[in-house]
Amino acid sequence: MDNVIFSSWNGKIVDNRKGKTSKAPKRADITLPKLPEEEKPLALMGWNGLVVMNPEADIVSLTLRYLKEIRKLSCGECSVCMIGIDRLLDIIGEMAKGEGSKADIAEMKAIIKQVCVNSKCGFGQSALFPVLDSIKFYKSDFLALIKGEKKLEDKDYSCTVTAPCMEACPARLDIPGYIELIKNNKFKESLDLIRENCILPGVVGRVCTHPCEDACVRKDIDEPVSIRLLKRAAADDDLQHGGSSLNGPQKEREERIAIIGAGPAGLAAAYNLRLMRYGVTIFESLPHVGGMAAVGIPEYRLPRDILNHEIDLIKRIGSELKVNTKVEKLSLKDLKKKGYNAVFVAVGAHIGTKIGAEGEDKGYEGFVDGVEFLRNLNLGEKVKPQKKVIVIGGGNTALDCARSCVRIGFNDVEIIYRRSRVEMPASDEEIEEAEKEGVKFNYLMTPVKILAKDGKVTGVECIKMKLGKPDESGRRRPVPIKGSEFTIDTDLIIPAIGQRSELPVIPDKEKIEITKWGTIKVDPITYMTDVEGVFAGGDCVTGPAIVIDALNTGNKVAKSIDCYLQGGSLARGITFEGVDLKKQMGRGFTVKAPAQGVGFLDVKERAGSFEEVEGGYISMEAMSEAQRCLRCYRVVVWEKAI
Amino acid sequence: MVTIVIDGRKVKAKENSTILENTQELNIDIPTLCFHNDLSSFGACRLCMVEVNTNGKWQLATSCNTPVEDGMEIRTDSDRVQESRKLTAELLYYKYPTTEAVREVARKLGVQTPEEKGEGHDCILCGLCVRTCREIVGVSALTFQDRGRGRDIDEPKIEFDPNSCIGCGSCAYVCPTGYVQMESVGDKRIIWNKVFNMVACKVCGRFFAPEDQLKYISKETNVPFDKLTTCTNCR
Ligand SMILES: Cc1cc2nc3c(=O)[nH]c(=O)nc-3n(C[C@H](O)[C@H](O)[C@H](O)COP(=O)(O)OP(=O)(O)OC[C@H]3O[C@@H](n4cnc5c(N)ncnc54)[C@H](O)[C@@H]3O)c2cc1C
Ligand code: SF4
Ligand code: FES
Repeated sequence: MDNVIFSSWNGKIVDNRKGKTSKAPKRADITLPKLPEEEKPLALMGWNGLVVMNPEADIVSLTLRYLKEIRKLSCGECSVCMIGIDRLLDIIGEMAKGEGSKADIAEMKAIIKQVCVNSKCGFGQSALFPVLDSIKFYKSDFLALIKGEKKLEDKDYSCTVTAPCMEACPARLDIPGYIELIKNNKFKESLDLIRENCILPGVVGRVCTHPCEDACVRKDIDEPVSIRLLKRAAADDDLQHGGSSLNGPQKEREERIAIIGAGPAGLAAAYNLRLMRYGVTIFESLPHVGGMAAVGIPEYRLPRDILNHEIDLIKRIGSELKVNTKVEKLSLKDLKKKGYNAVFVAVGAHIGTKIGAEGEDKGYEGFVDGVEFLRNLNLGEKVKPQKKVIVIGGGNTALDCARSCVRIGFNDVEIIYRRSRVEMPASDEEIEEAEKEGVKFNYLMTPVKILAKDGKVTGVECIKMKLGKPDESGRRRPVPIKGSEFTIDTDLIIPAIGQRSELPVIPDKEKIEITKWGTIKVDPITYMTDVEGVFAGGDCVTGPAIVIDALNTGNKVAKSIDCYLQGGSLARGITFEGVDLKKQMGRGFTVKAPAQGVGFLDVKERAGSFEEVEGGYISMEAMSEAQRCLRCYRVVVWEKAI
Repeated sequence: MVTIVIDGRKVKAKENSTILENTQELNIDIPTLCFHNDLSSFGACRLCMVEVNTNGKWQLATSCNTPVEDGMEIRTDSDRVQESRKLTAELLYYKYPTTEAVREVARKLGVQTPEEKGEGHDCILCGLCVRTCREIVGVSALTFQDRGRGRDIDEPKIEFDPNSCIGCGSCAYVCPTGYVQMESVGDKRIIWNKVFNMVACKVCGRFFAPEDQLKYISKETNVPFDKLTTCTNCR
C-alpha cells in the first residue's frame, strides 16, 4: 500500500488529500495491516485508525459497515458499548433518511468518547476510535449525507477479527471467544470452539508453550490470562462429564488420501479431511499413535489417557490407521496405483543431532540420544536406574530427559549446557520444576570426548566455554576456553541438543526439494512440495516446533488438498506482520487481579512416579480466571474494488 | 486497614474492600443498577463511576468492583463523574425507554424523561439473576448468551436451562425491572415458562414451595424429603 491518501493509524495523521498539507511522518514508520493486493482495497477501518488508499473510497458507508461488524462482537454485558454502537447506527440511519442534522455529529463524538472511557472490556474501550477519525477527517462526507447529497451504499467489504493473543497463536484459536464461554459456564461450547482449530485440546492445554500468553495485553497490567490452563479446563470438564464425541461425516467421497505419520500434523489433517468426507489412511511406523506427543513428551506432563482419549475420538470418525507400518519409499506413482489421490508427509523429526564429541559414534553402552531415550521409555522399555546421568543440552527435550531420569530413580542428574542460563531455550517453568526435583545445572561447558572402558561409558571430557559475540539467533555464541578441559565420571550420557528428520527414500524421478537442514521444501501457502499432489508439513518441514504448529499445518493441509482435488484456491487474507496488536488508542482503568493458580504434585512424590505434576482448574476457578480476560478483539473492515 | 481519601476526607478502609463499600459507609449516594450487597460485583451497568487517582492521573473507574489501595484518592462527585453517569443513563434510557428502573435512575441523573411510571419490563442485562442463581441458589440455571466472533446472535439475552432450574424464584425476586416474572396459580408455579408442581404444607395445606426445590434441598442437605414438606410458618 504505497498510495496512502489519508491515515490516522496509531494516532499519526498522514493527510495527502488536495489542499491538505500533511505533517506527514515518513510512511516507513507506519506499519499497517497488510491487505490482499489482488482485492484492490480502497480503504480500511480498524481498531487503531482509518486508512484511505483510493479517492473513490466511500468513507461514510465504510463507517456504517464497520459499526455493523463491531456490533456483532460487542458482548452486551455492559451498558455503554453495545447501546452506544446501536445509537450510532441509528443516527447514521436517520441522516440517510434526511432526518439528521449537524448536531448529530457532535452527539456521535460525545457517545464515542463516552463508550471509550466507560466500557468494561478492552474491546469497548478501543473499537470506536476510528469512527471518531472518520467523522473528524471526513466530516464533509457526513454533512453531504445529512443534506441528501450522498447515499449510503453497500459496497464490497471484507472483515477480519483478531486479537493480540489470537495473532500469536500458530493456529489462531478464537481465544477471547473460548474464554468468554468458560466465563459464562459454557464449557462444552468453549471446547467446540477450541476444537475448530485444535483437535487435541487436552494435550495442548497441558503442553503448549503458549506464545499467546506472552502476547496477552494483561501481561503489561498484572499477569497474562492463563490461556493454556483455560483450554485444559474446557477439555477436563468434558471428560468429567463423560467425554463428548466428534461429529463424523455423512456420505463418502471417492478420493482417498494417504498420510505418512500419525503425529499431531497427520492427525489434524486426517480429522479435517474426514470432515470433508475424504477417505483417509494413516501409515505409522511405531506401534503407538500421537507422534512426539506419544513418544517424546513424558507422561508426567501429559498423561497418556488424555492423549489416547483424544486420539480415539479422531479414530472413531473413520480414518484407517496402519501402525507398525513404516513407509520406506515415498512415491506418488506407487501410491496412486494403490488408489490414493494425494499424500501428506508428516514424519516429524526423530533423529537426534550429533554433538560433535569424539567417540559419540562408537556405539558405547550408556550413550543414548535424548529422543531415542524418551521413545524407548514411552514404548515401555524398563530403564535401570544408575548412579549418575549427564544430559547434554538446554532445550525442553533435555529437561524432559533429566526429569524422567529423576523419576526412574537416578541419584545424580546433571544437565550441561554450553551457554548460560539466560540463553537456555527451555521454559522458565520447566527449569524451576527441574531444580526443585534436584536436577543440577552446569552452564558454559561442552563435551569433547566420550570416555569408555570395555565399550561402556565411564565419563565425559568437557571443555569450559565463554560467551562471545551474538550469532544469527541473537544469542551470544559460546567459544571454548583453551586448556580448560576436565572430566566428569558418569554411567549414562544423554545428548539432547536437537532433532532432524529421517525422510523416506524419494525416487529420483519425483524430485522433492530437501533443504540444507534436511527438511522438506513446500509452498508456504499450499504446503505442496515440488511434486504435484505431494504435501508435507509439521516438524519435517519446520524443524522441531510445537504441537499447535503441527496441528495448524494439518488443518491447513486438509483445506489445501481439498482445493487441489476439487479445484479452487486458498485465500490469502490480511496479515498483521509488524503491527503491534497490543496497542490500542484508549485504555480504561483495569482492576489488577493476579492469575488463578493451580496445585502441583508434591516434590517428594515425584521420584519414582510418572504421575502428572501440574494440576488443573475446577470449573469455578476456571470461570473466575476467565473473568480476567479483557476481550481485546480487533476488527478490521476494508472496502475492495474486487 | 489502609488509608484512603474520599472527596478530600481521609478515612480508614478494610484491605481489599471495594470503593463502593466505603462510600456506602459514608452515606455517599452512588447510583447502581447491577450491584447487590450479597453478590459478587459485576461492573456491568457502569453507573457507579467514580474518579480514582492512579500515578497522578485521574481515571474513571467503577466503584463496585475496584478494590481500595493504601493512599488511593477518590472523587465521587466531580464534573467528569457526573457527566459520565449521565451519559450512561442516557444510553440506557435510549435502549429501554419504558422500563421504570431505568427511567428512575435516568431521572435522578438529570436525563429528560417522562414523569409517569414506565410500563415496560425489559431485560437490561444487569446479571443480578445470573449471579443470584449461581452464587446464592447454587444451581446455575441462568447464563449470559454473549456474542463473539462467528456467534450469530442479534440481541444477547439471558439463557435459561430448564433442567437445572428448581423454581425457587430468587431470580424474579432480585430482578430490578420485572423482566423475570413468576406466576403462581393453585398448585402450579410458572417461571421462565417452566411449570413447577407446588407442594402443599402437611400442616396448613398452603402450597408453599416447588417440589423440585425441596428435592434439591433434600439432596444437598441429606434431610429426607418428607421432613421438608412443612412450611416455615408451621414448622
Ligand atoms: C521431548 C520432546 C518434548 C516436547 N515437548 C513439547 C511441549 O511441551 N509442547 C509442545 O507443544 N511441543 C512439544 N514437543 C514438540 C512436538 O511434540 C512436535 O512439534 C509435534 O509432535 C510435531 O508433530 P508432527 O506431526 O510434525 O511430527 P511427530 O509428532 O514427530 O509425528 C511424526 C510421526 O511420523 C511417524 N513416522 C516417521 N517416519 C515414518 C515413516 N517413514 N512411515 C510411517 N510413519 C513415520 C513417526 O513415528 C511419528 O509418529 C516436544 C518434542 C519432543 C521431542
Ligand atoms: S486479555 Fe484476553 S483478549 Fe486480551 S490478549 Fe489477553 S487473552 Fe487475549
Ligand atoms: S454497580 Fe458498578 S457497574 Fe453496575
